[in-house]
Amino acid sequence: MALYDMSPQVINDKLPLTEPVLLILLSLASEPQHGYAILKDIERMSNGRVVLSTGTLYGALRRLLEDDWIERFEEEDTSRGKQAYRLTPQGRRNLQLEIDRMKQITRLASLRVALKER
Amino acid sequence: MLRVYRKLLRLYPTEYRELFGEEMIAVLLQERDENANRKLAARARLALREIAGLVGGALHEHVRVRFEFRDVLFLYDGRFTMRNGFRFPKATAVLMTIILAGVIVAIRKGEVIATTLPPFSQPVTPVHPAHSYLLPGVIAGILFFYAVGLAGWAIVFALRRSGVHRLADVSGEQH
Repeated sequence: MALYDMSPQVINDKLPLTEPVLLILLSLASEPQHGYAILKDIERMSNGRVVLSTGTLYGALRRLLEDDWIERFEEEDTSRGKQAYRLTPQGRRNLQLEIDRMKQITRLASLRVALKER
Repeated sequence: MLRVYRKLLRLYPTEYRELFGEEMIAVLLQERDENANRKLAARARLALREIAGLVGGALHEHVRVRFEFRDVLFLYDGRFTMRNGFRFPKATAVLMTIILAGVIVAIRKGEVIATTLPPFSQPVTPVHPAHSYLLPGVIAGILFFYAVGLAGWAIVFALRRSGVHRLADVSGEQH
């Protein structure tokens, strides 16, 4: 197998993800979140480098909902019945694929750079 | 500001607004409350980013609905609105101020010239027929350059999407 496996099974037409989409999925990986919490989490995860606007966030959420990567549900423990988002099994699988892809690239990059330095 | 956001939300397609409208307003409210004590410049930056996001998002949604563009969002995420925050270069602000000053000076200058000239009494004559022949040529020229620009943009865009431009970076390693 090639070091960087680019077969269709590994790299589907949705990968690689853009950084903001990856961060949205990572934000939902550990627990479900509502819109504002996702925005803040992305800002924290990227050390303030990625700051999404509300319009951009919801554009991405709509697309992820449409592709069945995430799902929307009503939080029960809040008085206002806030809508929250969580990863679907498909979304989690795709996130894992993206992480594996990035690991392979990192490994390849490390090898290439080490070869150059010799 | 919330009133502006509500107005901008109306730019979105109805279906989208019904699904996310109230939720987006709740997020904008939370953001506004959290940033209430920040400096005016920071709040202005935030407002600009939100306005740009809402306008860009609404435009994108209409294009998507109208042309049934499914994949445009991932492209849009990376290339347009989903940049790392909204940055308004300082150089642009300086340039815009210079241009504005230039326009004001030109208007003032025009007014001065107008007052010094004798009143214009000659009747305005229609454009000479010979001049009208130039118009189709000018329009054709504009269309030509527009088409060339569009084709160039399409080629650059296709190369960027395919990643072909990066081949030059790796080809050196193969020698």
